[in-house]
Amino acid sequence: MDAHDFLRWAGDDRVTGNLRWPAFTSEEEALTFIRDVCLPHPWRRSICIDDRSIGFISIFPETGDNRFKAHIGYGLSHEYWGKGITTRAVSVAVSQVFNDLPHVLRLQAFVQTQNKASQRVVEKIGFQKECLLRKYTYLKGQIYDVFVYSLLSSDLLPLP
Amino acid sequence: MEIDSSSMIKPETLSTRSSSPSEKIHLRPMTLSDVDDFMVWATDSNVTRFCTWEPYTSREAAIAYLNDVVLPHPWLRAICLDNDRPIGSISVTPVDKIRGEIGYVLGSKYWGKGIATEAVRLVAAEIFKENPEMERLEALVDVDNVGSQKVLEKVGFVREGVMRKFMYLKGNVRDMVMFSFLPSDSLH
Repeated sequence: MDAHDFLRWAGDDRVTGNLRWPAFTSEEEALTFIRDVCLPHPWRRSICIDDRSIGFISIFPETGDNRFKAHIGYGLSHEYWGKGITTRAVSVAVSQVFNDLPHVLRLQAFVQTQNKASQRVVEKIGFQKECLLRKYTYLKGQIYDVFVYSLLSSDLLPLP
Repeated sequence: MEIDSSSMIKPETLSTRSSSPSEKIHLRPMTLSDVDDFMVWATDSNVTRFCTWEPYTSREAAIAYLNDVVLPHPWLRAICLDNDRPIGSISVTPVDKIRGEIGYVLGSKYWGKGIATEAVRLVAAEIFKENPEMERLEALVDVDNVGSQKVLEKVGFVREGVMRKFMYLKGNVRDMVMFSFLPSDSLH
């Protein structure tokens, strides 16, 4: 049902350029992706206005001994950029995720160094910048430096 | 790096060039006949303290490890003294198309002599020529493993930061220091 709205932002290279997704060009591709990737996903939410999808937040824990750490990824329809929506949505997601996935101790975001807007999102929420990893990510034919940010479940505990 | 033709060293052998460490080392592929020397460091709990594995207790398990992991490994070398017997090993494991992770282990009797430093230096000098697609050589070191951090710093790796609660080790989740060395970096 979301395929049409999904395609509005998932088909936009400005939104998916920094993600590992291809830019979708048809509703059929979008539906397949929603069916095969989104629905079985351990923790994935649409960011919605009036119940219409304008973006997504995705938390993916690693497997086996590494399942205590999870990557966070997000994307927002271009027309909604610059209004603080992603920051609000990720903030809500973060508090829910530590409840929903209690084995997750570490949320991590790997953000390309040129993606300042995304860095502001995680910084405003309170992620800690840990490292600059040089030549770390190979994505769509280019090699990027990334900042690593983390938020631990223990970071959210109330101060005594 | 010049090949020492007078001692007919095979191309896959890398040797110490400089006057430090105090003992000359070279790197060469490991074989099954190295099992008893392997047992010397692999049974030592001082050595395995920051390894994900526990000390080996049987020769059979060691032989299985050599067969299953060491021999098929894309890049693993014994660290040897002049008598060509291994006192440790060093490896570069591909993480993806552009990244390799370096790891090394050395018998505790040989610690403190600059041997691991020299082994890492030899690898950092050669690995990008052997793997031209590699853009980044990285190492993850436990925050408490100060000796290993010093090895990488002495070679010229860049300390990129501490990743909190990053690695599961023997029942605990550990903070890890990330280091990297790029083809464009200078060896110290």
